[in-house]
Amino acid sequence: MLSTLIPALILVENEGSRLQTVWDKVQHPDLSKFLVIAAILFIIGVAGVLTRRNIIVIFMSIELILNAANLNFIAFSRYLLQTNNPNALAGQIFTVFIIVVAAAEAAIGLGIVIALYRNKETILLDQIDLLKW
Amino acid sequence: MTLSGWEAVFFWIFAIAAIFAGLLTVMARNTVHSALFLISSLVSIAALFIILGAEFIAGVQILVYVGGVMVLFLFVIMLVNVGLEERGDAPIFNRSAQVGASLFFCLLMVGGLLFAVNNGVRALENRDQVKDGPTESPADRDKSLAVTATRTSRLSKETERVGASLYRYAALPFEVASVLLLVAIIGSVMLARTIKQEAATDDLAPEVLQDEAKREPELAPFVHEEGESVSDPNA
Repeated sequence: MLSTLIPALILVENEGSRLQTVWDKVQHPDLSKFLVIAAILFIIGVAGVLTRRNIIVIFMSIELILNAANLNFIAFSRYLLQTNNPNALAGQIFTVFIIVVAAAEAAIGLGIVIALYRNKETILLDQIDLLKW
Repeated sequence: MTLSGWEAVFFWIFAIAAIFAGLLTVMARNTVHSALFLISSLVSIAALFIILGAEFIAGVQILVYVGGVMVLFLFVIMLVNVGLEERGDAPIFNRSAQVGASLFFCLLMVGGLLFAVNNGVRALENRDQVKDGPTESPADRDKSLAVTATRTSRLSKETERVGASLYRYAALPFEVASVLLLVAIIGSVMLARTIKQEAATDDLAPEVLQDEAKREPELAPFVHEEGESVSDPNA
């Protein structure tokens, strides 16, 4: 009886300390948490691009992907700032350029959508199959 | 880089908000709802930028994305009003086999990315000899900064540093970006022109214009001028 109880108690004890370390990690999010959040946002964006039919929603998913990349850049920038790296601000500068390119891409893409809608009367991707064999 | 206290609380709030809003962006049936969820996701990400100490980028994110790009999106959504999907008559996703394959690859990518993040961060921290535990709190860090007029917070040097290094290290890309934006302006104006505007600026071949004029009577005046100028040398 006792010989079965003691291992169980040790297991519970270990489980408790493991929960404690997890709780500590939740209370003190570090670089890896930001990277995980950015990865999840990136995957959501990729899933949106691959599964939706509406071109405008696909563009919005692309914006989500670019923002996940921005989050990564900023998180690494903060990390390098802490290690006194002289190039720590490069991440933030890169983010500015990503935002510029995203704005240009959205303007051109939405211009294409309007031209497409004028000619084909649809913005659903599976109905725009002129180039399909 | 370890957050603690209220920073950690707000990190989790905004991280979960960003992920949920992102998911709803992809799942929403109504495109306008999608755009609004994307706006809330972008605002949450801007809040994460502030938590990371990048106030300037957060401001740019709000101004450019929420104030500019998303308004453009909403304009286009209103312009190409497709009610079929929104009324529930048409599916919003591709065929189920396609969706299944996409989700399978996305799950693979989740696994790969989480593995890479886990190993990569550990190796990075080993390389840089980062000491464990929370770093100095923001209140201590900002002690040397000037106080704002309301005396509730301190002025950040963030924008100054970003601006200085933007011009010091990235002056050429900065100028190239301005050319890129000019190209984008001209390109979107050219793409979104109507056929009437093209005819008015004399950008259509006469044959195309005559064909179009048979369908659209509005184009007739332009054809008349073209016809005369074409037929005069023949006569």
